[in-house]
Amino acid sequence: MGVPEIEDAKVLMIFGYNGADSHPIVARRILRAKQKGAKIICVDPRVTETARVSHIHMQLKGGSNMALVNAMAHVILEEGLCDRDFIARHTIGFEELESFLNPYTAEYGEKISHVPADTIREAARLYAKGEPSMILYGMGVCQFSQAVDVVKGLANLALMTGNFGKPGCGIGPVRGQNNVQGACDMGALPNSYPGYQNVNVPEIREKFEKAWGVPLSDKIGIPMTHVPDRVLKEKDPEKQIHAYYVFGEDPAQSDPDLAEVREALDKVDFLVVQDIFMNKTATYADVILPATSWGEHGGVYTCCDRGFQRFRKFIEPEGDLKDDWEIISLISTAMGYPMHYENTEEIWDEVIDLCPSFTGATYEKLEKYNGIQWPCRSKDMEDKGTPYLHKDGKFAHPDGKGRFFCADWRPPKELENDKYPMVLSTVREVGHYSSRTMTGNCRTLRNLEDEPGWAQMNMEDCEKLGVKEGELVKVLSKRGYCMTRCLPTERVGEGTLFMTYQWWIGACNNLTTSFLDPVSNTPEYKYCACRVEKIEDQDWAEKHIRDEYEEIRSQMGIQSAKKEGEGR
Amino acid sequence: MNHFVKGNPDLCIGCRTCMIGCVVAHEGLHIFEVDPDSYNFNPKLSVIKTAAITVPVQCKHCENPACMAVCPEKCIHLEKDAVVVDTDRCIGCKTCVMACPYGAIEIVPDSRNRVQIDGSPRMIANKCDLCIHSKRGPECVRVCPTEALTLVTEEDLEKEAADKRIAAAKALAEMNGA
Repeated sequence: MGVPEIEDAKVLMIFGYNGADSHPIVARRILRAKQKGAKIICVDPRVTETARVSHIHMQLKGGSNMALVNAMAHVILEEGLCDRDFIARHTIGFEELESFLNPYTAEYGEKISHVPADTIREAARLYAKGEPSMILYGMGVCQFSQAVDVVKGLANLALMTGNFGKPGCGIGPVRGQNNVQGACDMGALPNSYPGYQNVNVPEIREKFEKAWGVPLSDKIGIPMTHVPDRVLKEKDPEKQIHAYYVFGEDPAQSDPDLAEVREALDKVDFLVVQDIFMNKTATYADVILPATSWGEHGGVYTCCDRGFQRFRKFIEPEGDLKDDWEIISLISTAMGYPMHYENTEEIWDEVIDLCPSFTGATYEKLEKYNGIQWPCRSKDMEDKGTPYLHKDGKFAHPDGKGRFFCADWRPPKELENDKYPMVLSTVREVGHYSSRTMTGNCRTLRNLEDEPGWAQMNMEDCEKLGVKEGELVKVLSKRGYCMTRCLPTERVGEGTLFMTYQWWIGACNNLTTSFLDPVSNTPEYKYCACRVEKIEDQDWAEKHIRDEYEEIRSQMGIQSAKKEGEGR
Repeated sequence: MNHFVKGNPDLCIGCRTCMIGCVVAHEGLHIFEVDPDSYNFNPKLSVIKTAAITVPVQCKHCENPACMAVCPEKCIHLEKDAVVVDTDRCIGCKTCVMACPYGAIEIVPDSRNRVQIDGSPRMIANKCDLCIHSKRGPECVRVCPTEALTLVTEEDLEKEAADKRIAAAKALAEMNGA
């Protein structure tokens, strides 16, 4: 499926995805689908903008995704809403799923997720009867310690109802970062070369060795989220990480359990940061390599729907900086492997020739067709890529059949307790994208929202604590604390707290846990135990925020108007 | 008849692009060149969020504006189908704020940091002016990514009422038929 097809779905189930804050342009497509008559099911613990306009909002308790998905599958099965023909022709494992789902009734779903059993039934019916139905999911699925299981559970729903391989259906991961799909496509993963070709497959390794003229390792690398442990806890010096090269990422802001990350960045022998602006991680760096930003260079992005898109340079960069690929070439050359490219097309040609599933996506075709969705295997102009990955129900397994998957619900790793009775979930806000490296430098976005950010809290919780809108509060977990402003709202449930993760001072990742999903290695950003404390001396707190902001900005070499004013 | 901008809560996603568009339209591009701390950010509309509603709220440009009636300095007037404040003459008395039934007027520090004789910030009434200075019309309408804002003119209002009358006539006919 492609992103524009969102508008053609008849039923849209939006699961743990807040388009209005994460991707307003996708949110617009959701609204257009609704205007064209689509029914919207929203699954989210908050009343998001999507929830507000949805036909059914399942306001589940955080951390209960798997229970809810299994209960929906149970309803579809029990009420005979399956597409038996699709199941018979295109899938394997349905009998196992049938017996596995037995105990997971809508009532079971209600017990875990707090969504009324009848609402679960209503939503399951609506989804199963949609012609077609599409699922979109976001970080509300991926950022839990049980994440990959839930994605497979959502795929169960689509397989059971035949919602694969045709227009306007399927399950769409709406990714968390700009071009994260492209980074994965290009092999920025510990286990693969570009094009999802695994490093431990000898023929693939040999192909890349031949192309690049160097021996290559057959060992799977280290996931980014394992780095702090490998720096701080690894005893074997051979396995310890001594040098860390970070680019286009701000782990000292966006990784969980920041105290541990900071300790690792302090301890690591050599840290290189390559980025477009100063960020938190760069303040620990031994070397900073300034790179050009969007608009100052060209290249290829991949959209979340596997679509390669060419983008172009339109302004000349000013100052002492280079394109990322030039920096990498120079470093490689300095390290003894001469690397030289004239332009991005030359690099792209090398990529597509080494990746069979990208081979046909030439610059010429990207230009002519305004983008190509991989796989695109032939350079022939007729091969325009693959809009439907599982077209006509053909799946990636060698036998072409989709597999059902059975997983019991597992609770999140750190539950509420006497000392930390609330649940913190980290989220996004529309003005600031990812960490604030880019948007924090945009004047008007800073005017709308600035440090230290907000904690969205239920009105009754605020009343009990005696805190008002805008008041500074202290939020604590087992791992640390931060200060932020209280935002009482009816849109979140009692006992829950939602904070956005880009603020330097209101840094909620001081609080989050580094528990990971065992398959994806993504941290459980959406669930950790915390508590909120009132601050009696608000004047002191306000001054503290101002001073700390000033200090961080001066560490980063940002001149403020106040300082300039003093100089005049 | 005065025009006004109408927000549609079914389409609004609460992104506040309208608020930024408003400030840029009134301050000009210079705000991209100066330090963000050196000017005041005064959007003339606000996005309101309750449990069930998200929508921008701004001046309705009333035909008989209460704000204009109560202004002791006579610095609120009608101009090009809009109700407009002459901020050079505004004394910041807040009477218009109290008179407006929509909460569409705020007293804010002058966006260009003008000060009074004693150095304290000059405070003025801030409200929507339908961007009458611009040929492109209201900037909030132009920049909204979900087309949740529309400019309502006399003709639009006429048409809406006419359509409703036709619908009412049809409903009456059905009732008689049944």
